[in-house]
Amino acid sequence: MIFSILVLGAPFNSQSAYSAFRFTQAALASGQTIYRVFFYQEGIHNSSSLATPPQDEFDLYQAWQDLKEQYQLDFVTCIAAAARRGLLNESEAKRHNKSASNIASQFDLAGLGQLVEASAMSDQVITFGH
Amino acid sequence: MKTSKKKHILIVNQSAPYSSSNAKESLDIALAAGAFEQSVAILFIGDGCYQLLSNQSPKQTHSKNISQMLKVLPVYGIDKLYVDEQSLSNRNIEQLDENLTLTKVSQHEIQALYKEATTVFRF
Repeated sequence: MIFSILVLGAPFNSQSAYSAFRFTQAALASGQTIYRVFFYQEGIHNSSSLATPPQDEFDLYQAWQDLKEQYQLDFVTCIAAAARRGLLNESEAKRHNKSASNIASQFDLAGLGQLVEASAMSDQVITFGH
Repeated sequence: MKTSKKKHILIVNQSAPYSSSNAKESLDIALAAGAFEQSVAILFIGDGCYQLLSNQSPKQTHSKNISQMLKVLPVYGIDKLYVDEQSLSNRNIEQLDENLTLTKVSQHEIQALYKEATTVFRF
């Protein structure tokens, strides 16, 4: 089965981001294919490179990055949703004339076309959030 | 690798127009899907019906007019707009924006919309 995952929730705000992570991890562990994980609305906060949870808590941000590296996944953060919420990568920061960038390198910034394409290429799109 | 195929995307809109970014950000998905020539249907249900009222004046809260944005959907090939008639009557909504071409649907017809859809996005 080919899945794509749509993440709409931010870490700490609800359980949806953590559930999305667990589902993705479980699907991969059982041999399923994850075509893409798409981060939209508040879900874009999962791609922050600056979030620093207390050391005795589970670090979901790092866990996403590790999962991506382990399975060579395709992580896409919606460029417009991220920009309006203050998440920029280096080139976007430059383009908008901002002083800093804060998106982890494991996440690509792209448009909603990547979500539509993911739905066309996958058997199922599973949404986490709302 | 599986090849891409045309999907039936159903966007279920159950949020009031200005209480969150759901209306705007789900509309963006509809437009992207239309641009990729996917089949797109939008269902307004629950408080999502409030997006369809005429004479919205969101300027005072510095928001963009949602019903104005919905009007352009047919230009992008998105002309399947549905509204749950039960949600309308529950909210005593009788007058919808007459510039929008909407089909009122029953619970039974909503089931059919879900059945036809290959991907559902709910906002």
